[in-house]
Amino acid sequence: MRNIILTLKSKFGVEILKEEKKQIWLKADKKNLLKICSLIKKNGFNFFSSLTAVDILEKNVIELIYHIWSEEKKTILNIKIKIDRERPEISSVSNVYDASQIHEREIRELFGVNFLGNPDLSSLFLEDWSGPAPFLKSFDWRNYVRKKFYSKENKRERGYFT
Amino acid sequence: MNLEKINDKANKKLKKVVKSIWVFNWFNSCGFTEILPVVGSRWDMERFGLIPVPSPRQADCLIIAGYQTMKSIKRAKLIYEQMSSPKIVIALGSCPVSGGMYWDSYNTIKRLKDYLPVDLYIPGCPPRPEAIFDGISKLIQKSTN
Repeated sequence: MRNIILTLKSKFGVEILKEEKKQIWLKADKKNLLKICSLIKKNGFNFFSSLTAVDILEKNVIELIYHIWSEEKKTILNIKIKIDRERPEISSVSNVYDASQIHEREIRELFGVNFLGNPDLSSLFLEDWSGPAPFLKSFDWRNYVRKKFYSKENKRERGYFT
Repeated sequence: MNLEKINDKANKKLKKVVKSIWVFNWFNSCGFTEILPVVGSRWDMERFGLIPVPSPRQADCLIIAGYQTMKSIKRAKLIYEQMSSPKIVIALGSCPVSGGMYWDSYNTIKRLKDYLPVDLYIPGCPPRPEAIFDGISKLIQKSTN
């Protein structure tokens, strides 16, 4: 276990944020993601558990967290990667982990992150969606709903506009 | 159960419905639990000739319950098209009526009447089985006299 982390540290400049008994948090760079993933997959981390995105409006970044579990080591690796909020693009890991395909598809839909190389990034829930990505903090959903669904002329719905 | 909402044209339509009303259920989320006690043995909808049918082609009545997302309302429309005339649409619960607690959600419909011709509204969150039977009995009265 220690060897893998030391290799990641020396080879790709990975930073260890926190270490617990069964969990390790790492901070990595965007361009090394594919190499890191293929290296840890060779070393037992073969279960792509989940992919999370956090929109940090103040720092103008979107933080992606890859949760990758190893059954033999009973450890989960949480790899944090920050990408630019203006140009949310990152290479897809669906070539390494097949299961990441649908997670990336969901993040693309809800946060607008473009995963380069993912074969299918069509919408899961939001069919015919034309607005901005709904889970971004900059999305003014209340205003969007007012515009799209309600009318000021309707007596019952007038209260929503005040 | 605002029966004034049913206009004259719809009245004629209701009169063509046979006495037993077979329903096709289209439920999202908690919509199923809203009508579940009515299906069960305590309130037993079969007393009134209501049977849930597996195919929309056999149904006289479409019950739409629970919030409808922009994705599911398309399927509901398809189901409505497949039903044979005369057909009735019942909006069950407050969500299809006005959006309910999802009044400010970006992906649910707010007024069912914008998408389907609704004949009967049964509000409530959830509506009591008595309210559902009251609505259904009004439908039966309308269709038989």
